[in-house]
Amino acid sequence: MNPVLTFIVVLIGLYGLATSKNIIKSVFCVTIIESGVILLFLNFANYEGGAIPIVSEDVAAIVDPLPHALMITTIVIGSAVTALALIICIKVFHHYGSTEWAQILRREDVK
Amino acid sequence: MIYVPAFLVLIPVVTGILILVFRNERMYLLAFLAQTLITVLAVSYFFVFRDDFASGAFVLGGWPEHIGITLANDRLSMSFIFLTILLWWVVLFYKYEPRKTDHSFLFFFLFLQGVFFGLLQTNDLFNLFVFIELTTIVATVLVGFKKTGSSLRAAIYYLLINTSGILMFLIGVLLLYNVFGTINLLHIRDNMEAMDSERLVQLAYILMMAGISIKAAIFPVYTWLPKAHGAAQSAVSALLSGLIVKSGVYLFIRMNQMFAALSLDYVDFFFIIGALTAIVGVVFALSQKDIKQILAYHTVSQVGIVFMGLAQVDAMTAHGGLLHAFHHGMFKSLLFLCAGVIIKVYRTKNVSEIRGVMKTMPFVSAMMIIGMLSITGAPLFNGYISKSIIKYGIEANPFQYAALFAVNIGTAASFIKASQIFFGEKPLSYAVKKRPPYVALAILSILCLVFGVFFAPLSDFFFTVDISHVSILSARGILEYALYLIAGYLIFRLIIKKDGSLIQRLRGFRPSFETANYVFVLYMAAMALHFIVL
Amino acid sequence: MSRKIILVAALGILFVMFFLSMEEMEDLFKNDAKLYFFEHGLDDTGSSNLITAILLDYRLFDSLFEAGILLVAVFGVIWISRHDFEERNAHFMLDKYKTPELFVTLSRFVFPLLLMLGFFIILNGHLTPGGGFQGGAVVATAILLLYYINLERKTDISLIVAVVKFAYLGIVLTASISLITRGEIFTNFMAVDAPTMSKYIYIIALDILIGINVALCLWAIFTAFLKEGR
Repeated sequence: MNPVLTFIVVLIGLYGLATSKNIIKSVFCVTIIESGVILLFLNFANYEGGAIPIVSEDVAAIVDPLPHALMITTIVIGSAVTALALIICIKVFHHYGSTEWAQILRREDVK
Repeated sequence: MIYVPAFLVLIPVVTGILILVFRNERMYLLAFLAQTLITVLAVSYFFVFRDDFASGAFVLGGWPEHIGITLANDRLSMSFIFLTILLWWVVLFYKYEPRKTDHSFLFFFLFLQGVFFGLLQTNDLFNLFVFIELTTIVATVLVGFKKTGSSLRAAIYYLLINTSGILMFLIGVLLLYNVFGTINLLHIRDNMEAMDSERLVQLAYILMMAGISIKAAIFPVYTWLPKAHGAAQSAVSALLSGLIVKSGVYLFIRMNQMFAALSLDYVDFFFIIGALTAIVGVVFALSQKDIKQILAYHTVSQVGIVFMGLAQVDAMTAHGGLLHAFHHGMFKSLLFLCAGVIIKVYRTKNVSEIRGVMKTMPFVSAMMIIGMLSITGAPLFNGYISKSIIKYGIEANPFQYAALFAVNIGTAASFIKASQIFFGEKPLSYAVKKRPPYVALAILSILCLVFGVFFAPLSDFFFTVDISHVSILSARGILEYALYLIAGYLIFRLIIKKDGSLIQRLRGFRPSFETANYVFVLYMAAMALHFIVL
Repeated sequence: MSRKIILVAALGILFVMFFLSMEEMEDLFKNDAKLYFFEHGLDDTGSSNLITAILLDYRLFDSLFEAGILLVAVFGVIWISRHDFEERNAHFMLDKYKTPELFVTLSRFVFPLLLMLGFFIILNGHLTPGGGFQGGAVVATAILLLYYINLERKTDISLIVAVVKFAYLGIVLTASISLITRGEIFTNFMAVDAPTMSKYIYIIALDILIGINVALCLWAIFTAFLKEGR
């Protein structure tokens, strides 16, 4: 797949962040950006004819293992961020009765 | 001795987990023990390697440098480490209550210290990303720690906008990896001159700077900061404002060192951004009534001043900017901690309702006045030193000088407004039971004075930069400070006190999340146009 | 409306920049690192799966804090959700009458297989694609199926969390044994020239600890969410 196409995924995420008015949608958009970044990394690591990076005798050329390893870390980090964001989202809903950014930012702090 | 950087990262993390494992009442002792150990290790490391920090660099696991993760220090990161240790000690003393331990808070608090040490010492771009993201997550939990509605909404705002910024940073790392075949910061810096794909590296620079700008909270993307720092509890605000915001400043310096050979003209762009940040921060601070919001907006404006200093060709002025970041760490955490004590006693954050602090709490008000004098740049206090160095550097350009002057007047005006709380009479209907945290406040205020008086040997010791040309008690400095105060008082009397419709509208200005991201995208596009097309 | 047009224009600028810079990507790729991993990876670390080699040896420091980030997320989620850890049951979310019978039956059938697959992935991280993180996620999925099989299931988060803390301390400890045996920090505690089979001890031990850590962290997060969904 073309890296340029993958970059469009990132841009879609940015567009979504700049237009979505709901917290949960914003969390989704961050996840979309993250998926875009992960795809971008894997795109750059791959090339035609590269085998999976497991050393054995009949493998002559492998794809670059470093981006793959880095992306496992990014995926784990992303899941942690998503979990934290969603739990705060639930709590914000309990406090304000809404998940719209405009409404929760407008309302003063009611205990 | 050479593994001290790794221990500095691990000791707080492991201590934090041990505190959660045992959940004893005396766990503060363990935290104090860990702090002592870290202090001893860092100080001895500094004295062993201070002549040649490069010899202290090592690769974890002993692998070749372009494969493994290098931990290294220099004078810049060592100074940040000392500031971290200082602030963590202060907040530990501030939060300390005998026979009562908040285990969860201590865990997150110590974990944040560990990962911040990691952020300062690592020389690997992806590892840097991991630590920035960890700092963000831990800080999110700390911001939302009180679990009130406002702190939680501030926390999620902070988390999402910072994460989207850091992911842009990660794309930059990827592009650099493709160009250089390594993600070791020093290797990239050395190879920067020889590379032949300028456009890719410029794009990487833009994306990384965009992420760093969000971390540093500069002009178009600062909106998360007043929310987060205003909503968190005071001890956490002190840490976030004093230090965690500075991670953006630190990364800005590091990344510009790395991209130095690219010879991008970042100076003009970031000076304008810095000046706008400073002015916008001051204007919003003037309109606020919530004491923590005032302090938080002043963090924005002071970071703006730091960037005004850093974005200069002249090395001395850039050093002034760096020094201001350190001094800001001291006086801003002092102000936040004092404000925390006052808020706890008066049970309100509104500056027009708090009165007579001088009578009820003389010690705390004395400390707070020291903080205010430092932030407005009075002679003999540390804010004066760094502001003077920046002032000398940009004097030649009247526009730049006027911007700094305006910011100084605004700062004076808004702290004259905040200082109303000391005077007047408002008898409390209840007795003040709790003693103020004397030790924590005293340490910071004494340091504000020490760094204001003995600045030359201290700067020489930490940075080996000679700044003895700054004179503390020059007629010009005192005169200018008096001018700031007079102009500030006039602004306060004539404009702020009337509370006109403009001020009310500024106070009610709450940009929503999608606007913040919209501005972020525009900011990236503007950087792209400025650095690549022009 | 004008706002969206400006937004699209700004995104367009970024896209054009990216597109133009991609032209320089033609045989730009410097593959020193890749060649190094290919040539030395197996001998250095004893793991023929190079990704595991990078995660558990070359860049162990990253993985350490990768597990740490999950730990922080668990404690953050638990702190921000309720305080009482006593988890009653999950029927408020997984409604008995809405879960299809077929799904429950299939879950019973899939659960042991999935658990076994997870353990296989964890234990063979050095030979086949996989490792602690991936296998841990699979095991966590298998555990979550239990909530479909037994809707009255009770979970004690505090127990999970207690184990997670020790698992993380175990990871840190296993990673730093090498400081004593080899004088290097955060790498395999067996010497570089040791036989490959003895290096497996370290990799498998670390993979199991990371697998436990990840599986339990994801389980704890899920349980906290179930409780919150009431």
